[in-house]
Amino acid sequence: MSTEENHSHTPDIGCLAALEAFYAYIDGELDDPGSIADFEHHMAHCRSCFSRAEIERALTSHMKKSGKSSAPEALRSRLRNLMAKF
Amino acid sequence: MSEQVDTRAFFSQGIEECMDPLYGVALRLTRNREDAEDLVAEAVAKAWSAIGSLQDRTRFRSWLFRILHNHFVTDYRKKSIRPQEEHVEEAFIDEGEGDVVSILDEQSDEFLKWWATPEKALYNKLLGEQIMSAIDGLPDAFRVTILLVNVEGLGYDEAAEVLGVPTGTVRSRMKRGRTLPQKALWREAKEAGLTTAGVEGGAEA
Repeated sequence: MSTEENHSHTPDIGCLAALEAFYAYIDGELDDPGSIADFEHHMAHCRSCFSRAEIERALTSHMKKSGKSSAPEALRSRLRNLMAKF
Repeated sequence: MSEQVDTRAFFSQGIEECMDPLYGVALRLTRNREDAEDLVAEAVAKAWSAIGSLQDRTRFRSWLFRILHNHFVTDYRKKSIRPQEEHVEEAFIDEGEGDVVSILDEQSDEFLKWWATPEKALYNKLLGEQIMSAIDGLPDAFRVTILLVNVEGLGYDEAAEVLGVPTGTVRSRMKRGRTLPQKALWREAKEAGLTTAGVEGGAEA
């Protein structure tokens, strides 16, 4: 999928390795600077993986917004009453 | 201020700050508002009785989530487990360390071509509810992992601590658990007539 015609010396890790690091990167869980650099290098050169990452980021952002819930007032009162007895 | 008063004040403030996330996770676990409220109240009572076991106050939130989750697993799930859910969970379980769990291997070509093509219009047409509905369809272990990480913002290590599993298991669940929301998007895109443009080269829908 990706071609390596630039003048950098960074070898491309390929789509399979990029996929393995994919979600950890999106979730901010890729710690090793070398792994991050390799992943970002691949993303800069592979349109397919870059596009998929964009969609995953949008999906994650949707989840973050949609998944939030507010505790009902009845539960808040119940918990405050409970804690008053502690 | 006596130590007991200080502990009580710390606990009350911590609970006040965590009411929404606790309820949110409980709601997704139980899929029922009344059960979620009961689960949270019982977890808070358990947490207070176990407050002496909290070693590091900066980890109050994950400690609390862990108590909630353990209470759900040991008490609630036993009462109401659905046979079909156990079956679904078996199909999802593939948590081997070092295993390249590739969504590329599991999806159709048509899906992958669409998935690799940004379709911005899709996001405006899809409701978050549909995504959360897909998440609700996941087995408990995957659902709660995604919630803790993507919705509540816990790191993989912190989520692993809450769930009592290795970090690698959280990593694996985050990969596999996302395939269902992806398929839900795909289904919605097909129904909305947004897939043809995506597959044929990314024209605007």
